[in-house]
Amino acid sequence: MRVGVYFCRCGVGDEGQISGKIDVHVIRDRIEALPTVDYVETVDFACGEAGQDRIREHVEHRRPDRVVIAACSPRQHEETFRQVLTCAGVNPYLLHLVNIREQIAWVTEDPRQAVDKAVNHIRAGVARVAHHYPLEATKLEACPDVMVIGAGPAGLKAAMTLAKAGRQVILVEKSPILGGLPVRFEEIFPTMECAPCLLEPIIGDVLHGDVLGNIDIHLTSTVTGMRGFLGNFDVTITTAPRHISVTHCVGCGLCIEACPIAVPHMLNLERTERKAVDFELFGGLPSVPVVDESACTRFTAGDDCLLCHDICPVEGAILFDDVETIHRRTVGAIIVAIGSMLYDLSRVENLGYGAHPDILSSWDVERLLAANGPHGGQLVTSQGKIPQRIAIIHCAGSLDPDHVPYCSGICCHDAAKYVHLIQEKNSGIHITSFVRTIVMSGKEIFNFYLNKSKNVNHRWRWYSDPRHIEVRVEDDFRKGEVGPLSVVCHCADSGNIESISVDLVILLAPIVPSDGLRDLANILDIGIDATGFLAEYNARSDATCSSVRGIFIAGACQSPMDIQMAMTQGTAAAGHVLSTVVDGSSLCINPATASVDQERCCGCMTCLPLCPYQAIESSQENAKAYVNSVLCVGCGTCVATCPNGAITGHHCTDNAIYAEIEAALQK
Amino acid sequence: MITDFDPIIIGFLCNWCSYAGADKAGAAGIAYPPNIRTVRVMCTGRVDPQFVLRAFADGADGVLILGCHLGSCHYKEQNYRAIGRHRMLLRTLTQFGISEKRCRFGFVSAAEAVEFVAIVEEVVQEIRALGPADFKIGRDEVTGAVIND
Repeated sequence: MRVGVYFCRCGVGDEGQISGKIDVHVIRDRIEALPTVDYVETVDFACGEAGQDRIREHVEHRRPDRVVIAACSPRQHEETFRQVLTCAGVNPYLLHLVNIREQIAWVTEDPRQAVDKAVNHIRAGVARVAHHYPLEATKLEACPDVMVIGAGPAGLKAAMTLAKAGRQVILVEKSPILGGLPVRFEEIFPTMECAPCLLEPIIGDVLHGDVLGNIDIHLTSTVTGMRGFLGNFDVTITTAPRHISVTHCVGCGLCIEACPIAVPHMLNLERTERKAVDFELFGGLPSVPVVDESACTRFTAGDDCLLCHDICPVEGAILFDDVETIHRRTVGAIIVAIGSMLYDLSRVENLGYGAHPDILSSWDVERLLAANGPHGGQLVTSQGKIPQRIAIIHCAGSLDPDHVPYCSGICCHDAAKYVHLIQEKNSGIHITSFVRTIVMSGKEIFNFYLNKSKNVNHRWRWYSDPRHIEVRVEDDFRKGEVGPLSVVCHCADSGNIESISVDLVILLAPIVPSDGLRDLANILDIGIDATGFLAEYNARSDATCSSVRGIFIAGACQSPMDIQMAMTQGTAAAGHVLSTVVDGSSLCINPATASVDQERCCGCMTCLPLCPYQAIESSQENAKAYVNSVLCVGCGTCVATCPNGAITGHHCTDNAIYAEIEAALQK
Repeated sequence: MITDFDPIIIGFLCNWCSYAGADKAGAAGIAYPPNIRTVRVMCTGRVDPQFVLRAFADGADGVLILGCHLGSCHYKEQNYRAIGRHRMLLRTLTQFGISEKRCRFGFVSAAEAVEFVAIVEEVVQEIRALGPADFKIGRDEVTGAVIND
C-alpha cells in the first residue's frame, strides 16, 4: 500500500491560511515516517486551477495506491478533488480529504497544538484510506416517459411543460373533464380573472394542440397499483366506464335532451337537476357527457331504454357495454398533483353547516357565483331571493386544535373576492366579516384587500376563540320552513356579545388533503406528514420532491395553495423530472450506498422499517434484505443497525472507521 | 483533580449539520480546545455503538456524537435512531465501568458555530474533571474485538 499525501498550504510559503498556522516541515517529517506513506507533497492552492493540474500530473507520475489531501473541508472541495483523481485515471473513491483548515488551522490558538492535531488527523486519514476501494457509479437505463396524476392547474402545467420538451406524458384524471377545481369556479383572486379563460387555452393545447401526440389522457381514471422505482415505474391505471366515446362524441348534447331521468345536481348544491347522461359541468372540456351508472335505468333497473342511443347522430359514440378497464404503463418518473378538498364543515357543530341551505362553504359560493352555476352567477338564497345581509365567517374550523390546526393561507383572499363580487352585483347588500386574523401577504393581494373591503356596506367584527361564534338556525326552520339565520358572536373588539340576523352565511373552510390522497400515497409508497398532506423530500429546498426518488409532487396535495403557486409547482416538478430522467442518457447511480451480504443476512428485517426512502425490500426469492441502490441515499443507518453485520456502507465501512479511530488515538 | 490531564475526545459529526457547524466555527475563527478528533459520518444514524466502544477500547477519554436538531435531519428521522442507540449504549458503557458523562449526544445545526464551540469546551472541561480513562475495556490481541477485561 502506497499512500500519496498532498498538503495544501492554502496560500504561499509559510504565510498560507493553513501553512501560516501548521508547520509544513513538521507535517512532512512526521507523516512521511508512516509506513504506508509514499510521499508528502505540498501545494500552494490545491483547489485552484494550477493546484489541481499539479496534483493531477503528480498523481499520474507517481501512481499512488491511495490519495490523502490535507486541505479545507470536504464539504467545500471533496467533489473537486474526486474529479482531479478521475482525470488522473485514479478511481475517485480512493481519496480521503482531511480537513486541516476549518477544523484545525482556523480554530487552534497554539501552533504546536495545531500541528499535533493536524498530524493526528492526517494519520487517521492515511489509516482510513487504506480501507477505501474503487467504486463505480452504475448506469441504469431509464424510461423517459412520465406519468402525471391529476389534471388540475398543477398537473396540466406539468404535463404541458414535459410534452413541450418532447416527453411522452400519461395524464391520469379521476373526473371526466380536465382543469381541476378552477374550471368549476369562475372569477379568481386577485384580478377577477376568469378561471376557465385562464385554463381552457392550456386544456385546448392538451386536447388538440401541437403536443397532442405527446399526451396520453386517461379520464375517469385512477392509479391503482405501482411497482418499481426511479427510471422504471410500472403503474396500473383503472378507468371507470364513461359509456360515451371521447373520440366519437361531438358534444351536441342531444342525448341529454332525450334522457328521461333527472337527479339532483350535486355540484350545483342540488339546486338544479342533471340527467342520467349529462356533462360533468357545462362548458367542461372535453365536451363529452358521461353516463351516471347510479342514475341511468339501464344500470339501476336493468331496463332497455335506448333514447340517448337512438338520438345520437354519431355511430359508436354511446357505449352501453363500456366496462372498467385496466391499463399498465411503464414510466421513468411520476408527478402527483391530485389537489385538495375542503374540510367537512358539518363537523364544526357551532357553525351549523348542513342544518340550513343558506349556510354555505366557500366552494358552494364559488359555484353560485359561476355563470354556469345553479342561478347563472346570481348569488341568491335557497328561496331564490337576493340576500340583504350576509355574514362571512373566517377561519371556520381553521386555527382550531379540535379541527384543522393550521391556516390554509388563501381563505382571506377568497373572502376579499366575495366581498368585491357580491357588492359589484348588488351594492346594497350588507356584509359583516367575522375575523380572527387576516392573512393576505404578497404584492398583489394586499392592495386588493385595502381597496375592496373599505366599502360602506361592509364591516368587520373580530372574534378570538373558535368557540366564541355560533350560527343559529331559528325555530321555524325546524318546523319545516326556511327561517332566518343569526350569527351570535362574542366580539373581541367590543367585548360584547352581538347577534346579527342574516339571510346567508359564508363559511371560509380550511383546505385539507383529498380523500384519495392517503390511498394514493400508500400505492406509491410515498410519505405523508402530520397534516395529512404529502411529505416533501425537503420542505424548503425540494418542496416538489416526495420522499421517494423519481416521484414528484405539485399543487395543493403538498400544502394548501393558490392557483399561481400550484402552476409554478407543476412547472417546477416537470423541471425536476427533466433533470432527473434525462432523455437519451442513462441514470447515474451514486455508488456510496449500502448493500447486503446475502450470505450473512438472516432475514430478520430489523433494517426494513428504518429506511425512510423505501430502499430496503425483503427479497421474494430468499426472504432476505435487499437494498435498492437507486433509492438508497447512503445515510448508513441500516448499516449500523444490522445485528449480523451483513450490511456494508460503501465508502464508509466499519473497518475504515475503526482504522480512522485507532490511528486518531495513537499517542 | 488532575489539572494537567489533556483528554482525547473522538467526535462523530454528521456531514450535513454538525460538521458544517464545526466548519462555520472555523470560518468565524472561533478558537476551541484541540482535544477533539473528528470522524465525519454522513449521518449520526451511521454511528454503530461499536464505533464508540472501539474508541474507548483504543484509549479515548470521551466520545461526542453530534447530529442535526430533531426535525431537521438531512435523512428525515435518522437522528432519532441515533438517539435511541445512544441511550442503550449508555447502559452498556456503565457496565464497562465507563461514566455516562464520557459519551455525550448533542445537536448542532449548520449555523451554530458558537454552540458547537460551547459544547466542545464543556465536554473537554467535564472529561478533564473526570480524569484519565481507567476502563475495564480493551481489545482482544488476536481478534481485535472489544472485550471487557
